[in-house]
Amino acid sequence: MDVDRLRQDAAALLADGRARMVIGFRDRAGDRVPAFITDAEQAGELVYDEACRQNLAAYLKKAELARFRPVAIVARPAVMRSLVLLAAEAQVADADVLVLGVSDDDEYHGILDLAATAALLNEKYAEMPHDPDLVKRIEEISAMTPEERSTFWTEQFARCTRCYACRAACPMCYCTQCIVEKNVPQWISTAAAGHGNYAWNIIRAFHLAGRCTECGACEAACPQGIPLMLLNVVLARDVEEEFGIKVGYDAEAEPVIGSWSPDDGEDFIR
Amino acid sequence: MKLIDADKLTDLAAALARAGYRVVAPIDDSGVVRLKEWAEGAAIRTDAVPVNSAKDFLFPPSEIIGRWDLDGDDFTPRDVQPDAPKTVLLAVRPCDAAALTLLDTVFNWDYKDEFYNARRQAATVVPMVCTAADEQCFCTSVGGAPDATAGADAMLRPADGGTTLILEPLTDKGNVLLDAAGPALAEGDAVADPPVEIPRRFDVEAVTEWLSRNFESDLWPAISLACLGCGACAYACPTCHCFDIQDEATRRESVRLKNWDSCGFGLFTLHAGGHNPRPDQAARWRNRVMHKFSYIPERFKLLGCTGCGRCARVCGAGMSMSEVCRLIADETKKAPTHES
Amino acid sequence: MTQAEAKSTESAGAFEPRIVAFVCNWCTYAGADLTGTSRLQYAANVRIIKLPCTGRIDPLFILKAFEGGADAVLVSGCHPGDCHYTSGNYHARRRWMLLRNLLDFTGIDSRRLFFSWVSAAEGQKFADLINDITGKVREAGPFDPTNPARRQPWT
Repeated sequence: MDVDRLRQDAAALLADGRARMVIGFRDRAGDRVPAFITDAEQAGELVYDEACRQNLAAYLKKAELARFRPVAIVARPAVMRSLVLLAAEAQVADADVLVLGVSDDDEYHGILDLAATAALLNEKYAEMPHDPDLVKRIEEISAMTPEERSTFWTEQFARCTRCYACRAACPMCYCTQCIVEKNVPQWISTAAAGHGNYAWNIIRAFHLAGRCTECGACEAACPQGIPLMLLNVVLARDVEEEFGIKVGYDAEAEPVIGSWSPDDGEDFIR
Repeated sequence: MKLIDADKLTDLAAALARAGYRVVAPIDDSGVVRLKEWAEGAAIRTDAVPVNSAKDFLFPPSEIIGRWDLDGDDFTPRDVQPDAPKTVLLAVRPCDAAALTLLDTVFNWDYKDEFYNARRQAATVVPMVCTAADEQCFCTSVGGAPDATAGADAMLRPADGGTTLILEPLTDKGNVLLDAAGPALAEGDAVADPPVEIPRRFDVEAVTEWLSRNFESDLWPAISLACLGCGACAYACPTCHCFDIQDEATRRESVRLKNWDSCGFGLFTLHAGGHNPRPDQAARWRNRVMHKFSYIPERFKLLGCTGCGRCARVCGAGMSMSEVCRLIADETKKAPTHES
Repeated sequence: MTQAEAKSTESAGAFEPRIVAFVCNWCTYAGADLTGTSRLQYAANVRIIKLPCTGRIDPLFILKAFEGGADAVLVSGCHPGDCHYTSGNYHARRRWMLLRNLLDFTGIDSRRLFFSWVSAAEGQKFADLINDITGKVREAGPFDPTNPARRQPWT
């Protein structure tokens, strides 16, 4: 992908004031870490490649970045969908954010506002496939007996230390007081064990049903390597197959769990 | 001296397990090196810093410190004993062992934490000298070293070009351990390999000095931008020790939990009245750095960081304590622009 | 049913499932009431929790029931179109579809989790439903105490 054009566009945005900050990636001894650029001269340090896995839309959660709006965010399609969803959930206004559109298929999409971002998604990335390796793994696990599935997930969730890195990495987890922090009553046990870990991971996945764009940032952030994307893709496939909804393509869309259709399936209801 | 082949560490683990130790060692866990309870068949790997620290086995992520049986409005306390089996922390890093000096101090400072102390007393610490390091290691910048013996009961020293390990006892517990290892160890001579050289990344004294004068600095918002406020760094850190007490109950029993907590969480300092004295990540990062490099040194004459680099390796958002310290140290080299 | 009659359905030492039912006040709860006033027999294994509407049901309620030792959970409300609050059950229906697949994937399968529409007039349906579910759960056996959703004894 033409990173030079990315750098030039970033510099131009800062130079003429269309953006007060560019959030992208820089290299640090071979790692890809976030860059927060406020000066056109710094744009040269921007990089982009497949190793850039963070979802930078998560930084819109930080109140301390509000004074830098409008912000330009380096975003690949899954991240662009997060931004469109944030607009649909009234968390970001059109005037607050611009996109520097990047991709993993070597195409650079230039500077886009939210409307152009949604248009690009619908035109070029309308069929975003679910990760085939994840789909394959989901099918393997679904073919297990319930007891085997139970054992599998017990082992996976046993490693969870409740660091909440998954929540921090996700742009859609923006509640100022998360369900796990509600203690009157304590819905989800805070002990890093057993049923608390199960409830936390299941409920977080459920709270993201219809809101997750499968960017993979949560699983990448998990220090314990818990396969969170399996849960997210199960739900994302259901949302698509059962309700015919594509997530993150329409800034006017109603929230999936907050809305309903008279045609919603109910063959499992007696 | 007592020796063991470098690729026979599992034999040592097995011998110690037979002698009644719970053996904790760096295990290959689906490709990731993790400190875990060793079991027959598990591969011990010493080629990378484990993702977690030895702290997990002395101060676990969640622990029960109180229990009550409930019956309507009546309650009966139950005896709670710390779960403290005889343990060997085998082939941990010297930076993990060095951290114990601080943990021992804070858990016995204004209150003696019987849970920590029971596990601590039951633990024999056997670090292995580091003959390799990565970009994130910075023990030599914080008064440590890849062959430091602080906190160690015995030391494993790679020798003869990495083919042999010397097991050198340093304390009574270390001697007991060597006896328990019995025939797993051979008697002989070997030449210890030099520890890896880790360049000093920043001047920690300059950092501590700068911190004493720069509570209101603009550097705090600047260096904390990438942080998204999770607990990954604090949980991975061998010296971090903050915890949260939670009471959880059913109608029949109640437990009091001591859970890991992180000063990076947004709600860490939220008051019941709604005020939060550390309302943004800049304030929370300021606290994190000052706790480790200013408040702890001031109070205990120790540093609150042993340079293990886990925080940077585990951070999903690119934060790094050594990078922050380098930035602070760089500030001290700049010419002053005003009276501080 | 009387205590004596309830006991007669149990054989000594046999597993008796504990079933938690989250039901809406206006339809299923009233329907269950009708079952009772009609003197229709149904298994005593169910513990009914009344809510104003199925739309009130948070997935956490279902998780908490399994946590606390339920062998199965039933969720039941008004038929589509009949919701006392107009659309609560439509919201619920969509959530249930997603939740049941997620729970099934992680070890709580359809032998343990049931959904139904039971109106205030369907006293017989409620009885038949409970009896059928109780039989199915009795056959499936107790909810695995090592299932990750289950509260483990504090060690």
